[in-house]
Amino acid sequence: MTELLQHLSLGFSVAFTLQNLGLALVGCLIGTLIGVLPGIGPIATITMLLPITFGIEPTGAIILLAGIYYGAQYGGSTTAILVNIPGEVTAVVTTLDGHQMAKQGRAGAALGVAAIGSFFAGCVATLVIAALAVPLTRLALLFGSAEYFSLMVAGLAFAVVLARGSILKAIAMILVGVLLSTIGQDLETGVERFTFGYAPLADGLDFAVLAMGVFGFAEVLRNLEAIEHREVVPIPIGRVWPSASDLRQSAGPILRGTLAGAILGILPGNGAVLGPFASYTIEKRLAKDPGRFGRGAIEGVAGPESANNAGAQTSFIPLLSLGIPPNAVMALMVGAMTIHGIVPGPLVMTRSPSLFWGVIASMWIGNLMLLVINLPLVGLWVKLLRVPYRLMFPAILLFSSIGIYSVNNSAADVLLTAVLALAGWALSKLDFETAPLLLGFVLGRLMEENLRRALSLARGDPMTFLRRPISLGLLAVAALVLVVAVLPSISQRREQVFAED
Amino acid sequence: MDVETPAVPSPAAPEQGARLARRGPVRSPRDLVAGAILVALAAFALATGAPLEGGTLRAMGPGMLPRAVAAAVGVAGLLLVGFSFARFGLRLGRWPIRGPIFVTLAVVAFALTIRSVGLVLAGPLVVVVSGAASSDVRWKELVAFAVVMTAFCVVLFRSILGLPIPILSVGGFTW
Repeated sequence: MTELLQHLSLGFSVAFTLQNLGLALVGCLIGTLIGVLPGIGPIATITMLLPITFGIEPTGAIILLAGIYYGAQYGGSTTAILVNIPGEVTAVVTTLDGHQMAKQGRAGAALGVAAIGSFFAGCVATLVIAALAVPLTRLALLFGSAEYFSLMVAGLAFAVVLARGSILKAIAMILVGVLLSTIGQDLETGVERFTFGYAPLADGLDFAVLAMGVFGFAEVLRNLEAIEHREVVPIPIGRVWPSASDLRQSAGPILRGTLAGAILGILPGNGAVLGPFASYTIEKRLAKDPGRFGRGAIEGVAGPESANNAGAQTSFIPLLSLGIPPNAVMALMVGAMTIHGIVPGPLVMTRSPSLFWGVIASMWIGNLMLLVINLPLVGLWVKLLRVPYRLMFPAILLFSSIGIYSVNNSAADVLLTAVLALAGWALSKLDFETAPLLLGFVLGRLMEENLRRALSLARGDPMTFLRRPISLGLLAVAALVLVVAVLPSISQRREQVFAED
Repeated sequence: MDVETPAVPSPAAPEQGARLARRGPVRSPRDLVAGAILVALAAFALATGAPLEGGTLRAMGPGMLPRAVAAAVGVAGLLLVGFSFARFGLRLGRWPIRGPIFVTLAVVAFALTIRSVGLVLAGPLVVVVSGAASSDVRWKELVAFAVVMTAFCVVLFRSILGLPIPILSVGGFTW
């Protein structure tokens, strides 16, 4: 306990410097902005801003990027409540009851409860990270190559389960991602793979390029097709502070949502996206009158919003303690860290404690800032929503192109992004999801490295993965998760087929 | 994982007019195309990766993992193709190409001009060309917007943030 306090006080001493406070504030503001605006998400924004962080020292850089990430989670709910469009994917659930509340003239209460719930969740999640970091890091030091490999297999299994739609397609996307990660020089032998003599590919496909192409630009293309119906109805926001009875009703959902989100966020394979859905389901089950849900139940805003924020923050745990990014945003953080010579993983905490604890402390400060900044600024954010999409997407493309160019000062990267954007658009037209592809790409190189090392240590015996207990356990989890995922989908499909007759 | 996914408007929802296929042996054209693309990708990777050495399990060469993964992609593709004859799914749907064409052109134009001329040309190009992708394009507004945004980017990225992005290089003059 005293150890924890010491760590936190170190963290706060780092985070409370003027520069880092400023960076956290800037990050939170940018994050809220892009969270509010539909059509641009944290992945594209962080990619865009990556080059800017090259000039900042690493702690500040990570603080800025982290602020963008959880600021976006905050901002997403504003759009969900006021306009019925999820500004961020994770705010989808909030549209259900949040917008209904807004229609009933209780937009202020919904926004207030979302902000308070998020703040509470952020505080708890910060403590969870601080408390779990030390034991998990110790555990990670016990991990050999075989365990790392199996852990990543488990992470990818979770990613398959969490993908919407066909499981077969999700698995295919992960495999394609792994295949793409083999582009470039082989680390052990130096042989060039799949570069076709094209020099810019020799170092491999840059993650920022891939993410911006199949995620950022492809998103623009999808939005262009959906004919725009963004009418910002001037909804009176009303009193922002929720009433006492609102708060009483929300206390339970906030607690449960925080818990659910925090646990799911730790899972490798982007469990954080599941948090809001899980919380909504829990609250609906527990409610005395489930019929209120979908008609402006405040619990349906309080729970999912808390889960959302808690999950966003605890998803830093796999990255900081194990060095394994659980989602695309965390993968970009890896990029930001390695540029500064920091290898994410168990050694970060011992080698650069001020960075580690400074970033964690800044998350709490950032959450406080968001609470204070956001509510008074809601009016400003709503005005931004009136910028028509026909002007917004050219601006997004301009910023993105500058960002991609600046990552490596390479025009070839920009060309590659254009090609990947077309590929990403085609994939989404065929109901392939690109999130598993990105995760497969991120983990692919690490997996191959660890697979090779583990096998060569075991003299080529693949049974080594089953003989080592931790590795066996992780593989068992992966298998179990996949089996569970496949079963209901079989039954659902059968129902569909029967419905055809 | 017993989670109810509420029916919600999703930004990536399938477009309207996407209907179940009815006639012919192909019950899910969308899955057929998806599977065929995976098979083609796998074949391409296997063919171009053929010269890579496989090695042994004890000392894996550069070719072993890519080949194994490519083969798995191929199997997934074949399964999708197989299922497309067995179970009902969606039609291919509409593929409007106006957006993809102009957006791709815009980004390519940026890539080709950023080094040779600089942001002064590349910036307005990307905004105006991509703006044409929208069905309700208003040209005067777009051109004015392009100029303003480019000026804003010059100030933000070059003057404030100090990124080494080329602003203008004509003849021997560079800035």
